[in-house]
Amino acid sequence: MNKKETHCLLCAQLLQSEPSWKTLLTKQFPPCICKKCASRFEHAPSPTALYQYNDAMKDYLHQYKFLQDVALAKVFRQELQDQFKHEKSPIIPIPMHPLKQKERTFSHMEELLKAAKIPYIQLLEKTTAETQSSKNREERLQTASLFQLLPSVTVAYKEYVLFDDIQTTGTTLRHATEILLQAGAKNVRSFTLING
Amino acid sequence: MKYKGWLLPPALRDFHEGRIWLREHSPIAEQDLNQAIERNYFNIIEGIQQTPHLKCNRCHNDNPQQFTTFDCSKCRQLCVYCRHCLAMGRVSSCTQLVVWRGPRAIRPTRHLLAWTGQFTELQQQATDEMLESVKVKRSHLVHAVCGAGKTELLFPVVHFALQEGLRVCIATPRTDVVLELFPRFHKVFPRTTIHALYGGAPQQQGYAQLIMATTHQLYRFEQAFDVMIVDEADAFPYIFDETLKRAVHKAKTAEAPILFVTATPSQKLLNQYQNSSYSFIPKRYHNHPLPVPRYSSLWGYEKKLKKGVIPLKLKKWTEDRLTQKEPFLIFLPKVELVDIAVSIFQALHSDILAVHAEDPERKEKVLKLRNEEIPGLLTTTILERGITIKNVQVAVVGAESSIYTSSALIQIAGRVGRNIAFADGDVVFFHHGITVEMDEARAKIQYNNKIGFSL
Ligand SMILES: [Zn+2]
Ligand SMILES: [Zn+2]
Ligand SMILES: [Zn+2]
Repeated sequence: MNKKETHCLLCAQLLQSEPSWKTLLTKQFPPCICKKCASRFEHAPSPTALYQYNDAMKDYLHQYKFLQDVALAKVFRQELQDQFKHEKSPIIPIPMHPLKQKERTFSHMEELLKAAKIPYIQLLEKTTAETQSSKNREERLQTASLFQLLPSVTVAYKEYVLFDDIQTTGTTLRHATEILLQAGAKNVRSFTLING
Repeated sequence: MKYKGWLLPPALRDFHEGRIWLREHSPIAEQDLNQAIERNYFNIIEGIQQTPHLKCNRCHNDNPQQFTTFDCSKCRQLCVYCRHCLAMGRVSSCTQLVVWRGPRAIRPTRHLLAWTGQFTELQQQATDEMLESVKVKRSHLVHAVCGAGKTELLFPVVHFALQEGLRVCIATPRTDVVLELFPRFHKVFPRTTIHALYGGAPQQQGYAQLIMATTHQLYRFEQAFDVMIVDEADAFPYIFDETLKRAVHKAKTAEAPILFVTATPSQKLLNQYQNSSYSFIPKRYHNHPLPVPRYSSLWGYEKKLKKGVIPLKLKKWTEDRLTQKEPFLIFLPKVELVDIAVSIFQALHSDILAVHAEDPERKEKVLKLRNEEIPGLLTTTILERGITIKNVQVAVVGAESSIYTSSALIQIAGRVGRNIAFADGDVVFFHHGITVEMDEARAKIQYNNKIGFSL
């Protein structure tokens, strides 16, 4: 995962090589997608998400999650690092159900943070392998909690930041927030890669 | 657990014979697949080979840049996957590939060739030469100009191979060509099971002794074919991708001959076959010469188009086509120019449409032009080959652009005059300077005409 990309991860075009002093001095990650591909993503106006959902993002999610192209975890590493590097509160990526994770072979949320070199912790586990998108709105609102605390973890009286890929109805984040608050968290914020 | 009474489902053998397939993606019921594996009907191959160097065992990619290592939640260790053939389902260290080694599918040796067409003398000679090569398992190059009746040329040799019980593949770099060839072969070989394979193709039933596939799909075969026909061997992206060439070799048996069929062979192919097994058809089936492109300067066309103005000569050319009711294709060198130009051209006629590679309605739009529902299309090079439209007239705008290789220009010019009732037509290269490639394209066309009409 740490190798330097010579070609755009999305369109396989040869990447213009940046002078290495630049990435050294600014401590930036070297680019892994080309300018053209980068321009297809649309920044979100919201302070709690990086991007808007659009065609480019749809293609990205398809290749990353469905085609299991783990390498794409690197695509947003610079933006995620910029977002989280001064974050004082512990970051909790939304976990996958263990069976789902084994099937996909990786946790897409954790890989995004790993690629951005952002430390994170895990306090939650998913209780159901069903996906939210397979349910209608009513079912989603009525489900029993999607998460529970991991055995033998303690939740401190402080603020936590939940990190998820996309916020559509907010059910996932709401359930995770409730569990943490019930367990004694002082406050829970959330941040998503994509605005729904 | 083995249980008695399990019979090998024919569908399992029919599907897996000749294929190298991800075990977890088999369309066969898991229970049956496991039974067959237990009975040693399959070779099980690891997805990624680590020694002596990293290699994907499906697509044979061995470029280290195209592999990614990650922490795998399935095998719980560092796992490597191939990004080169990712779109066909990810192959990683912990995935298994299965290759059939059980009894062979039954290959019928009675195939009907339902074709009553007549070959020209040149075509007849070429088909005889191809047959001769296939009989002695020798690879062969067929160099046939655009409109020489390339597809028909394949009928006798394919028929012969099928009757011999051989498995045949017709591979081409482009999905459009597969879609164009499939119905034609289906009609001519009504008793033969034929499958058409391309990205997104539907699941097809039975054992196909004849397969038409994009070259990409060949990654999924191994030593499957006894005769390999590579149509449009020079077409993008085949010439650019070494691994696709390897795929052609991997998909056929060691001794299977390859027949290359193209209007624009590369110098390398010519050098390889010209003096040994080579057929040349310099003349079209209808016995009329190939239309020779003419040059017309169109200075600063890009700036003008971007300003929303059609350069005068191009405007006049288009208006002439419209008044004479001749269908036309206007090739533009960039997608962005197509996007810009379409609205300006629609001011001349509101039904003019545009297509490019990613256009999901490409097929429908070409059909509309063929059916005379629209007067003309603006296009990128995507339509340079494979399409036939009666009486079509062609303009190449920016013929000096580097994407227009001589082969591309010959193919584009080859769209014109294919129909016997309209054997001539206009091919104009609108340019901002003349390139070697333009001259080469024109010289080759003139040479073919000279040879064709001196025979
Ligand atoms: Zn790119
Ligand atoms: Zn591969
Ligand atoms: Zn693995």
